[in-house]
Amino acid sequence: MGAVLSVDESRCTGHGRCYSAAPKLLSDDDEGFVTLRGHSMEIAGDQLADAEEAVAACPERAITLRRDG
Amino acid sequence: MNETSGCPVSHTDYTVERPLFQTYELLNAEREQGPFLINDSGRRPFWMITEYGHVLEALQMPDVFSNEVISALTPEHTVDLLPQYLDPPEHTAMRRVLNRWFAPAVVRRLEPLVLSRCVELIEELRPRGGCDLVNDFAIRFPTDLFLATLNLPLSDGNAFLHHVEIVFKGFAGRELDQVATSTEWIRDYFDRAIAEREHAPRDTQVDFISRLLVSELDGAPIPRDDIITICYTAMLAGLDTTRSALGFIFHHLAGDTELRHRLTASPELWPRAVEEFIRLYPLVFMDGRLVTRDIDFHGLHLHKGDIVWLGLASANHDPKKFADPRSFDIGREDLNHHLAFGAGPHRCMGMHLARHEMIIALTEWHKRIPDYELATADQLYERGAQLSIDRLPLRWEV
Repeated sequence: MGAVLSVDESRCTGHGRCYSAAPKLLSDDDEGFVTLRGHSMEIAGDQLADAEEAVAACPERAITLRRDG
Repeated sequence: MNETSGCPVSHTDYTVERPLFQTYELLNAEREQGPFLINDSGRRPFWMITEYGHVLEALQMPDVFSNEVISALTPEHTVDLLPQYLDPPEHTAMRRVLNRWFAPAVVRRLEPLVLSRCVELIEELRPRGGCDLVNDFAIRFPTDLFLATLNLPLSDGNAFLHHVEIVFKGFAGRELDQVATSTEWIRDYFDRAIAEREHAPRDTQVDFISRLLVSELDGAPIPRDDIITICYTAMLAGLDTTRSALGFIFHHLAGDTELRHRLTASPELWPRAVEEFIRLYPLVFMDGRLVTRDIDFHGLHLHKGDIVWLGLASANHDPKKFADPRSFDIGREDLNHHLAFGAGPHRCMGMHLARHEMIIALTEWHKRIPDYELATADQLYERGAQLSIDRLPLRWEV
């Protein structure tokens, strides 16, 4: 079973709550956006809890975690 | 605006000064009347949108809800603000230039200065055994940090404050003649700072104005007047809000010894505590917007040209979103969902700086002055239009 974390570029406005809530998983760029903005990443089993934290932290609902299998 | 859709009518004038916390009481009572109200307290009526879900959605719809109006209370522009008065795509381009000056990376770079200035101010106050938290600390600290962020001399802080106070009275529609004079003073100050840098450019990596002077929007330099407006806006946005937030937070902590002791003993909790304080005590209690086209918004028939009030404070206290919303709870799961910094493309640019300033101020203060109490039994007041406690006398054992 795998999972994919994505940040919707059109919704993300750089609140920074995701990388504050899950600093081991996500980081910020020079403009204060999460570097994953507009991208997706594979989430390993031991990263799931952090990924869920990041999803829950976003005030814009810009982050989704899709689980396969 | 020729239909009222059977909405409840609000006559509440939110520009007036009130006893502390009364504005939230009124806003919460109005939200309980319904998701939409029509307010007729000012020169132009406006629709009040009160619930969290609707407010967030509207903030994320800049094509329908335009920033040509940013306050439902003063829909006419009393002062120029940038990039507030822009809509995408012009807004997006300007934010790209500005965001990096207020990003967490910059906040981290300024940390040593923020920390040392904060400790200096607290140590100055500590031997006195008391102070007016608002005027002796909460405004001096962000003023210095604003100047530091823009690479301007800290010694200019006091002169600024006087004029900023007057401009804020203008937001509530008062003393408009003085507002013009103070606005001119502030704009002249930035104009001189720009002239100095045109004459002798500084390092564009650390000097805000020098960077703006070499930045381009759509291939053209940013007009000088716009640079002045950007600086002016950053100042208005950064000084009063942080001062006000610290006022509300210290008022809360002065009255809750158990919480104060818990946070002092576990300073790693300050970031969550600050976030929850910001949710509980939003200062910018609404964003205004201008409706750009006729639309049915969840049953509310809006017409092009209508003004809407997006109730940020009302949303933060909405029980449909936040359980037991009037209580302070750093354990709440959706802590970060509050709208005190707004949402959508115009979310507060200074939010990272603001959080950082407050976390440092509270951490360092409580290391040095963990116990204090309110030093007055008088009724305290909050300014209308954008909340701020006028004074907060505290005392402590020396």
